[in-house]
Amino acid sequence: MRKYLLLVLALVLVVSFTAVGFAQDKTEITVAAGSVGKELELTQKAAQMYMEENPDVKVNVLSTPDLANDRLGLYLQFLEAKSPKVDVYQVDVIWPGDLAQHFIDLNEYGAEKVADNHFQEIVQNNTVNGRLVAIPWFTDAGLLYYRTDLLEKYDRKVPETWSELQETAKYIMEEERAAGNPDFYGYVWQGNAYEGLTCDALEWVFSNGGGTIVSPDKKITINNEKAIEAIDMAAGWVGDISPTGVTGMGEEDARKMWEAGNALFMRNWPYAYTLGNADTSQIKGKFDVAPLPAGDSGSSAATLGGWNLSVSKYSEHPEAAADFALFLASEKVQKMRAIEGSFNPTIKSLYQDEEVLEAVPFFGKLYEVFTNAVARPSTATAPKYNQASEIFFQGVHSVLTGESDATTAVQYMELDLKDLLGYETGEPRQP
Amino acid sequence: MSKTQKKVLKKILFYFVLAVIVVYLLFPFYWAVNSSLKSQAQLSMTPATLIPRDPDTGEISIFTRNYFAIFKNGQFLRGLVNSSIVATSTTILSLIVGSFAAFALGKLRFRGKEPALYVILAMTMFPQVTVLSGLYAVINALNLSARFSMIFTYMLFTLPFTTWVLTSFFRDLPKEIMQSAQVDGATPFQTFHMILLPLTAPALVTTGLLAFIQAWNEYLFALTFTSIDPSARTVPVAIQYFSGEFARQEPFGEIMAAAVVVTIPIVVLVLIFQKRIVAGLTAGAVKG
Amino acid sequence: MAKKAMSELAKEEQKLAIKLLIPTFIILLVIALYPLGQVFYTSFTNRTFAGTGTTEFVGLDNYQKLLAFSIEELPPVVDEETGKVKIDEETGEKVFQSPIQVLPRQPELHRPVYTFNFFGSKYVVGAVTPDFIRAVFNTIIFTVFSVLIETILGLGVALVVNSEFKGRGMMRAVMLVPWAVITVVSAKMWQWMFQPTRAGLFNMLLDKFGIGTGNFSFLTNPSLQMPAIIAVDVWKTTPFMALLLLAGLQLIPQELYEAAEVDGASKIRQFFTITLPLLKPSVAVALIFRTLDSLRVFDVFQVLLAQKRYSMASFNYFQLISARQMGMASAIGVIIFILIFFFALAYMKALGVDTE
Repeated sequence: MRKYLLLVLALVLVVSFTAVGFAQDKTEITVAAGSVGKELELTQKAAQMYMEENPDVKVNVLSTPDLANDRLGLYLQFLEAKSPKVDVYQVDVIWPGDLAQHFIDLNEYGAEKVADNHFQEIVQNNTVNGRLVAIPWFTDAGLLYYRTDLLEKYDRKVPETWSELQETAKYIMEEERAAGNPDFYGYVWQGNAYEGLTCDALEWVFSNGGGTIVSPDKKITINNEKAIEAIDMAAGWVGDISPTGVTGMGEEDARKMWEAGNALFMRNWPYAYTLGNADTSQIKGKFDVAPLPAGDSGSSAATLGGWNLSVSKYSEHPEAAADFALFLASEKVQKMRAIEGSFNPTIKSLYQDEEVLEAVPFFGKLYEVFTNAVARPSTATAPKYNQASEIFFQGVHSVLTGESDATTAVQYMELDLKDLLGYETGEPRQP
Repeated sequence: MSKTQKKVLKKILFYFVLAVIVVYLLFPFYWAVNSSLKSQAQLSMTPATLIPRDPDTGEISIFTRNYFAIFKNGQFLRGLVNSSIVATSTTILSLIVGSFAAFALGKLRFRGKEPALYVILAMTMFPQVTVLSGLYAVINALNLSARFSMIFTYMLFTLPFTTWVLTSFFRDLPKEIMQSAQVDGATPFQTFHMILLPLTAPALVTTGLLAFIQAWNEYLFALTFTSIDPSARTVPVAIQYFSGEFARQEPFGEIMAAAVVVTIPIVVLVLIFQKRIVAGLTAGAVKG
Repeated sequence: MAKKAMSELAKEEQKLAIKLLIPTFIILLVIALYPLGQVFYTSFTNRTFAGTGTTEFVGLDNYQKLLAFSIEELPPVVDEETGKVKIDEETGEKVFQSPIQVLPRQPELHRPVYTFNFFGSKYVVGAVTPDFIRAVFNTIIFTVFSVLIETILGLGVALVVNSEFKGRGMMRAVMLVPWAVITVVSAKMWQWMFQPTRAGLFNMLLDKFGIGTGNFSFLTNPSLQMPAIIAVDVWKTTPFMALLLLAGLQLIPQELYEAAEVDGASKIRQFFTITLPLLKPSVAVALIFRTLDSLRVFDVFQVLLAQKRYSMASFNYFQLISARQMGMASAIGVIIFILIFFFALAYMKALGVDTE
C-alpha cells in the first residue's frame, strides 16, 4: 500500500513542479489574436510598439486556433465564465451581433473620433442597438480569380455576368480536357455546408437582385423569384463546370485545386493572391483578380469578411484595453500590416496611400469591391445569426446536392427563419 | 496432397493473411509518410503519386522542409513533452486506482458490487462535448493548472476503462490462488500485491497502453483547458495550431510530418513493452 | 472454529473493499458530480451558452422539441378542372403534394425527415428537429457496422498475432499503429485520401483500375458517406479490439489446446469449443467499451462530415458552440446517456456477463 501511495505522491510533486516552473507572469492586458504566422508576428510587433509608447502597460498576445468554430468555442468558454483573463478579442465580422452583450461600447472610449475613417458598412455591421461593440481591424471580400494565360489562349474576356462565366468556363474546360488535362474544371468555390457557403450563396443571390436573406430593417426577404433563380443557377454548376465534390469544398480545398492549375476560375478571399504567386505555386504570374460577376441586378456582389477588435465587459482594465484596441486599429498599425502582411486595411484613405499600393499593387482594384461589399445579416438577426446562417446554408446545400429543389428549400428557409426570429416577410434589399 | 505439401500451403496462406493485415494496418500510415515528404504543389498533383514526385518532370523529388519546420516549432516540441507528462500520469494513476478497485470488485466479497460497477461505467456514457463546460467551471473554481486539469479530467474515461477490464481479468483468476495464499497466512492485500498483480501483468500492460494512447489522443478537453496557458499545450492541440503564413492556410505536409514524428515513440514504447504482453502465458501454469 | 474465521475474513474483505474503492469514488465524485449534475439541470432550462439574458426553467420543452415527430400522409394532387389525380408526364406516376403543405406548423414547425411509400400511398415522417432524429439514426447505424466489423477483424488479427512466428514482436507493434496515430490527424489524413479529385488516393487508385472517372465524392455523396466514415473508424480502432482480445487469448492455458489435439479435435472445433467460450469475458468488455465509444463518436464526424451529416455528439457540439443552445445541448447529452445506458444493460444481459 505504502509503495503505491509514495508513487502517487511523487507523481503529484513532479506534475505540480513542472506546472509551477512554467507558470505565467501577471499581465496587464491580454489580446486574443490569431495564431497564424504573419498575423501573430505583426500583432506582437504592434504590441511592442504600444508598450514602447506606454511603458506602464504590458501587453500579452494570446494565440487562438485558426478554425472558426474552435476559436468561437474558446471565446464562448471565456465569456461564459465571465473571465477577466482576456481583455481584447479579435472577432470575426459576424460575431459582434451575437456577442454584443459581452463587449463594451467603444464610442464611450474614444472610437467616435475615428469611426468615420473606416468603411461604413463594417462600422454599421458592428453597431448593435446604437453601441459600437467592435472596431474594424482588417477586412476581406469575395473575389473572382481568373487565369490570364488561359483567357488569352482562347481569346475570351473576363466575365462580367454569371452567364458569361458559365459559358466561358464550359468552353475552356472542354478544350483543356480535350488537350489532355482530365482533371481540369471551370469554376471552383466553397460549397461545403458551413458559413463559407453562406458567403458564396449571398453573393449569387444579392448580385441577382434577391436580397440579403434578412434585410437590415429586420424583414425576411429570402423567398423571392430572383433568389430561387440564383440558387438554381449555382446548383447547375455542380458536376458541370465545378466538380461534384465542390459541395464538400472549403477555401483551402478550392485554393489547392486552383494553385495546382486545375481550375479556370475560383471564388476566394484575397489571401489566395499572395499565396498564388509564391515560388512553389504552379500558376505563379498566370492569374489576376476581378470583382465577381453580376446577376440580374446589374451589380457585382462580394460578401464582407474580415476581423474586428472588441473589448470584454469583464476586463479589469477597460480603458487601457480600449486604448490598445483603438491603437491596433489605427492608421499607423493598419498601414504596417498592409505593407508587411498584405492585410486589407479598413481605413479608406490607405487605399490611396502610395507606399501601400507599391507594396501590394492589387489593393487598388480592391477598393471598389470593399466599398460595395455586402454584409451578412448578422446584426439584423442578432443574437441568433449562427442559427439563421445555418438555416440558409443547409437549405442551399440541399439544393446543391440535389436533395431538394430551390423553391421548396427557399420556402422552408422562410418558415424556419420566421420560426426562429419572429420577423415578418418583406421586400429584398437591392444593391 | 502429401503432409508436407499441406504444411507448406498452410504456411503460405498464413503469411498471405499476415501480409494483407500488415498492408491494411500500415498503408494509410505509409500515405501519411508519403504526404509528409511532399510540398504543397506535389500534394495537389493529379493523379496523386505513391512516391513524392516533381509535378513538372515526374522524377522522384523528396521534400524535407516539412520536418525541419515542425522541429523548429517550439510549440510542437513542448507539446511532445506535455503530452508525455499528461498521458503517463493519467495512465499510472488510472492503473493504480483502477487495479485497487478491480481487486475489490473482482475478488472480494461485499454487497453493492453491481451498482458500483454501473456507477463507474456511467461516467463514460456522456459525450465529452456535453460535460465540457461543466468541467471547465470546476477547473476554474478549483483553480487547477492546465496540466493538472487534463490529468484529472482524462481519468473520467480512462479510469472506468481500466477498472472494468482489470475487474474481468481479476475475476477470471482462479479462486484457488486466493485460497492457497490465505491458507499460507497472507492478508488479502498482500495476496493482491504480491501474487495477483504480477499474474495480470498482460492485462495491466494492455490496458495501460490503451489508456495511454487514449489520453495521448485527446483533443477537446486539452484545447479548452490549455487555451489560456499555451505552454501547457499537448500535441493534438499544437498540431491544430499549425498554420502557414496566412490565415485559413492548412499546411497539410507539416501536419502529416507531425503525425509521423508523434507515432514513432509510441511504436517504440510498444516494442519495449510487448514482451510483457507475452508474460501472461505462465498464468496458465497455475491450474491444477 | 472455521465458521468464525470465515465471517471475520468476510468482514475484513468488506472493509478492505471499501478502502480500495474509495480513491475511485473520490476522483469520480470530484470530476463528475458537478458537470453531470449541471447537464441534467440545464437540460430543463433554456440557457444560452455565454448568454446574457435570464435563464428560465422550461421543463421538458427541450426534450419535446428534440423528440417530437409526426407521420402524415401525402395526398395526391388533384387537378381542379378534371377532378382526377395528376400524373407526372415524365415518370408516369402520381404527383403527390409536398411535405411543406402537409406537415403541421403549430405549435411547432415540423420539417420532413424521410418520405416513404406504403401500398401506393406516400407518407412523410416529420420532426421538429430533423437533424437530431437523423443524427440518432446515423450514430446507431455507424455503431452497429463499426463494432461488428472491428470485432471480426480484431479477432482475426489477434488470432494471427497469437501464433508463433518470426517477427511476432514487430507485428505487435505494427498492430498498434492505427490506434496510435492522433485521432484528429488521422481524420485529416483520411480526408485527404478521400479527395474528390484524382489528388486523393482512393480516386487515384479507382481510376487506375478503371472504375469511375476519378471524381467520387466520398464525403458529400449520401450513399458513400457512411461507408467512408465507418472505414475510417474501423481502421483506427481495430487495434484496440485486437489488443484486448489478444490479452484474453493469452490467458487461455495452452494445455487445453494440447489436450484437444490429443483427443483429435480439428483446429476449427478447438476454436469454437475452447477459444470462444473462454474469450467471452474479454469480448464482452471490449464490446461494451467499443460500443460506448461508438455511440459517443465525435472526432471523425466533426472533421470529415462537420455539418453535412451529424452524429449525436457532433450535433451536440454544433448546438452548443454554433447555436449556443445550452439547454438543448444538455438535453441531447442526457438522451445520449440514456441510450448508451440501455445499450450497456442490454449487452450485459445478452452476453450473460454476471457481476457476481
